[in-house]
Amino acid sequence: MTYNFAAIVPELMLIIGEPILMLTASTMGRRATKITTWGTVALLIAATIAALVGTEPSSAGPLFGGLLSADPFAVYGKALIYLSAAVAIIAANSWFARDDEHGPEYPILILLATVGMSVMVSATNMITLYVGLELNSLSAYILASYRRTDARSAEAGLKYFVLGALASGILLYGISLLYGFTGSTQFSAIAAALGRDEAMGIGLLLGLVFTLSGLAFKISAVPFHMWTPDVYEGSPTPVTTFFASAPKVAAVLLATRVCIEALGPAIDAWRQIIIFAALASIFLGAIAAWGQTNIKRLLAYSSINNIGFVLIGLAAGGAAGVSAVLFYMAIYVVMTLGAFLVVLNLRNAAGEPVEAIDALKGLSSRRPGMAAALAVFMFSLAGIPPLFGFWPKLMVFNAAVEQGLFALAVAGILGTVVGAFYYLKIVKVMYFDEAEEELHYACGNLEAAFIGLFALIVSPLGYLLIGPIGSAADNAAGALF
Amino acid sequence: MADVAAGYLPILLFLAVALALSSAFVGLPMLVSRLTGAHRPDPEKLSEYECGFPAFEDSRDQFDVRFYLVAILFIIFDLEVAFLFPWAVSLMGTGWAAWIAMMIFLTELALGLVYAWQKGALEWE
Amino acid sequence: MQTSIILIVFLPLLAAIVAGLGGRIIGKFASKLVTTGALFLSCILSWPIFIGFLTGAETETVVPVLDWIRSGDMVVDWALRVDTLTAVMLVVVTTVSSLVHLYSWGYMEEDPSQPRFFSYLSLFTFAMLMLVTADSLVQMFFGWEGVGLASYLLIGFWYHKPSANAAAMKAFVVNRVGDFGFSLGIFGVFLVFGTVSIPAILEAAPGAVGTEIGFAGMRVDTLTLLCLLLFVGAMGKSAQLGLHTWLPDAMEGPTPVSALIHAATMVTAGVFMVCRLSPLFDAAPGALEVVTYVGAATALFAATVGTVQNDIKRVIAYSTCSQLGYMFFAAGVGAYGAAMFHLFTHAFFKALLFLGAGSVIHAMHHEQDMRYYGALRKEIPLTFWAMIFGTLAITGVGIIGIFGFAGFYSKDAIIESAYAAAVMGGGNVSAGFAFAIALIAALLTSFYSWRLIFLTFYGKARWASSEHVQHALHGHHEDESEVVADHDSADDHPVAVREGTGGYHPHESPWSMLVPLGALTIGAIFAGYAFYYPFFGTEEGAAFWAGSLVHNAELVEAAHHVPLWVKLSPALVMLIGLGIAYNNYIRKPKNPAKFVAMFGGLHTFLMHKWYFDELYNLIFVKPAMWIGRIFWKRGDEQTIDRFGPHGAATAVGWGNRLTARLQSGYLYSYALVMLLGLIAAASWAYWWAR
Repeated sequence: MTYNFAAIVPELMLIIGEPILMLTASTMGRRATKITTWGTVALLIAATIAALVGTEPSSAGPLFGGLLSADPFAVYGKALIYLSAAVAIIAANSWFARDDEHGPEYPILILLATVGMSVMVSATNMITLYVGLELNSLSAYILASYRRTDARSAEAGLKYFVLGALASGILLYGISLLYGFTGSTQFSAIAAALGRDEAMGIGLLLGLVFTLSGLAFKISAVPFHMWTPDVYEGSPTPVTTFFASAPKVAAVLLATRVCIEALGPAIDAWRQIIIFAALASIFLGAIAAWGQTNIKRLLAYSSINNIGFVLIGLAAGGAAGVSAVLFYMAIYVVMTLGAFLVVLNLRNAAGEPVEAIDALKGLSSRRPGMAAALAVFMFSLAGIPPLFGFWPKLMVFNAAVEQGLFALAVAGILGTVVGAFYYLKIVKVMYFDEAEEELHYACGNLEAAFIGLFALIVSPLGYLLIGPIGSAADNAAGALF
Repeated sequence: MADVAAGYLPILLFLAVALALSSAFVGLPMLVSRLTGAHRPDPEKLSEYECGFPAFEDSRDQFDVRFYLVAILFIIFDLEVAFLFPWAVSLMGTGWAAWIAMMIFLTELALGLVYAWQKGALEWE
Repeated sequence: MQTSIILIVFLPLLAAIVAGLGGRIIGKFASKLVTTGALFLSCILSWPIFIGFLTGAETETVVPVLDWIRSGDMVVDWALRVDTLTAVMLVVVTTVSSLVHLYSWGYMEEDPSQPRFFSYLSLFTFAMLMLVTADSLVQMFFGWEGVGLASYLLIGFWYHKPSANAAAMKAFVVNRVGDFGFSLGIFGVFLVFGTVSIPAILEAAPGAVGTEIGFAGMRVDTLTLLCLLLFVGAMGKSAQLGLHTWLPDAMEGPTPVSALIHAATMVTAGVFMVCRLSPLFDAAPGALEVVTYVGAATALFAATVGTVQNDIKRVIAYSTCSQLGYMFFAAGVGAYGAAMFHLFTHAFFKALLFLGAGSVIHAMHHEQDMRYYGALRKEIPLTFWAMIFGTLAITGVGIIGIFGFAGFYSKDAIIESAYAAAVMGGGNVSAGFAFAIALIAALLTSFYSWRLIFLTFYGKARWASSEHVQHALHGHHEDESEVVADHDSADDHPVAVREGTGGYHPHESPWSMLVPLGALTIGAIFAGYAFYYPFFGTEEGAAFWAGSLVHNAELVEAAHHVPLWVKLSPALVMLIGLGIAYNNYIRKPKNPAKFVAMFGGLHTFLMHKWYFDELYNLIFVKPAMWIGRIFWKRGDEQTIDRFGPHGAATAVGWGNRLTARLQSGYLYSYALVMLLGLIAAASWAYWWAR
């Protein structure tokens, strides 16, 4: 076995930096918050650069005996994950600033989760997959209950933990079945075994279903989505921001790699499940968001809805489908982070954060810039054409049509129509309703800059980015085939 | 069939010895106390023993969360030891790489302990 | 001349833009000044052109403006074509328009949105000038629609009045019927001749005589079909029988608008179009016959209705309708010159009558019901004299060979042409019919015109019980336009008229209103005398028109030499009409009531304007509303909306309640859903793989 440490420099940077920051946190107490925050951000940015720069052809192959891979697919995922995690850390500053809950551990927990996600997108073995997933999940459970004095936060953490444990159990059961019937935990070996057998045995089939179900929990696809609204609502908003961005990318990329690399020969078996999950997610996400009054809950359903579209790309399969998935995730992360950044900076007269949609009434007259940005994000999430959010949906549908999945594409398009309602409702509330209560903003310059930047990316100007992002996604997708 | 059963004979013997010993440990003190006249029961003595807690009826009652912390720390190091046994047995075969990996693992746990210590997690009060 | 043509046409547009878009910035005075100034400039530039054509100094000129449409064989260039016919229209339009602009300074003094009003007036003038200078049918259609739009905007100028909005819509919709015919006509012309350029069409027209074309599953004569389709357009715009219903209602607009658009210019566009295309119509005798019948019928119909109207403006509106009928049947019998002549003189005296009526209305605080007038000649003498001259002109007073008012010459020219056409070449039944109708209508014209004068200016003062005057007296300050009631005669009820002034003394209108009255009075007196020979002389006419319309020298010559009784008959019927009016409204004022009591049915029939509105309501409006309601309620709301958007919304609502119930918040139900999902996925995958 050879040890190619050069290929895992980004992960190494993070896991060496982590204990240092942690010990700083333990010795300095709350005063260390600033240090850990910016230290983590610096680490993440450095890791992003390392990931992007350090991609030599030599490191593209299997690493550590096939446990990991640092192929362009993994690099694409890492860059997205590191950057969105960094934004989630920065976004938390002003939100936590108003009370004493902000400890130096918050960025460190995110850092740990990020290492886990990094392993998730790089994993080419069921064991590394599970280790990465659990590292991410355990950090996430703690993050969800980060405001331990708040009953809702504690409840969110507990629910997430129990259901996550159940999902992990299902996943492990699936992995063990796959291992039992193929004799390997290696993705390539599983694929080879699946390719050998003409008719798939019941054991393999169950292993496949259980594995996918376990992964579906992480990407909150219907019917494994039940935790999402409760956890999104209960968690502190910065944590929700984080949950909605980086872990989604990691889980989707992980699921994609498993489906293509490990289960690729059995595409006929899993495509049905993915199609069902896609349509169920799209429609349930759209329908259940209809009556929500809490914007975090609404955005939870929005993420379920969007995951449905991503799964359409996955169901299409092939390089085009995977490329569409990757492209979608990049844009989705920007839109979601932007929307959450605006929500994060909403304050009522007492300086308390507000989450009710009604609180957005008349936002346009008091904070036109903020309202315009949120409107852009909403229109984009709804996939209204001139905005950037339209393109990933188009690509996903394109990929489905190319594979002859016409009914799926048509159903998906119908889903966007239903989904457009609640996005537009937010815009309506902001622009056409009279304000009821005073609303304040604790929006720092950096947050405002991020909101502006993301709105700019999502705006029709984003069209200019289709080239670079698209070619990166194509390149990354090519690594799986 | 007989071969298989013969293979399990030591376990059967082990069970028999264990049964005999435990019966002796329970039965002898009771017998001796009655014989010596030291049999003076009181509520404190009759209550069942449970480590650290006062005995209670309902398993859903609240208890101090500090027990959790101690239990979790215990489990971590318990598992560490569980990892150490196979590592120690196979160290000759796995070589320096395994040695370094285990050292990193132990350091990692030690750092965690340092963190817990500094945070005051080990202090009961 | 080219520069002045461009200026004449585009100055009003410029003024309309300045006043319309900049009215708020430059204020109402500047807006009025700009528009009125531009119009007077146009007017001053127009007269030399007209006089040039009169003296033969000018010849036909075409000013290219720009290339407009180039699409395959379809070539439309924007060019301003000025020949004699256009020159006549130019002076009519710019003169009346500039005088109406000036008049409006006084009439609209108290209106809050004067810049808008003046902008619309100028816009209308521009569109009208586009229409008359059109070199192609498409360009004419542009002007045609432009005047329609301006007419719509001005009828509905007081948009806060429901009746004005309804009238504006009615005008628009009825005109749409005509415009549909017109556009079909243009399509047909393009189909047959391959061009929409007017000179090219007229040149090609004789070649198409006797050909047939398929239309609505029938084989019909090409030219007859084309002319009839075009004539439908003319009928709509010129309010001919059948499509006339909008014109009386259009009186909801301010009175200057009625004078300019609904008397002098726009409504004559149909006549102008027929004259402009006279070579085409001349090649289609069948179509001309229809034109004659429709014109004659309109002349009679409108005159009969005019006799019973109580609203001063409606009397004049029906009079306009009737006079337009004269012009059409003149064109129908082939006397295009006479038609244009009557158009020309009519513009002056009808604008005069309208503006005079406006002056009366202004004096009477927007009371328009003649039953509340009476004895006004001493209160507003200048208006009275203007109205008298207008009436003398419309009734055609004059002595053969010496002098006559404007209508004397033009109306006699028409009547004589009709007679000449009737007896010429073996007899023309339609012309004979038209001749007979013309005489009856002339009698009625004389009757209702003098009735108007007598009711308004003679007798005893009766305005004591007028609500409008009461309001004025008691100092209720309200927006004057608000109190203008809907004066549809069918809704008229006998009113209890109290004699007396009620202490109110009407005042003469300001000079800005009197000056246009004076100018138009001059026109009403002399326009006929001065221009008879150029318009209707045998040789002078040929020289004057110079081929811009069909000048049938034979017919004109015959018209000059009709028997003496024919020449005298118009004067005779005029005197009879005057006599009846005098007898009934001056000598025995109780007579009309007796007449109504005796011929109640006839009176009701006339009051309801031959039941045209009721009939249209029954056969067009109600079924249209009914069909519309079916499509709206059954088709749209109960089918498309119910199963489409609303159905989807309801379904989503149900789904939302269901998911909300599933999202109970309990861990065990979440776990249950996950496990059920797992089981379902496994079962499905197994079933699928098998």
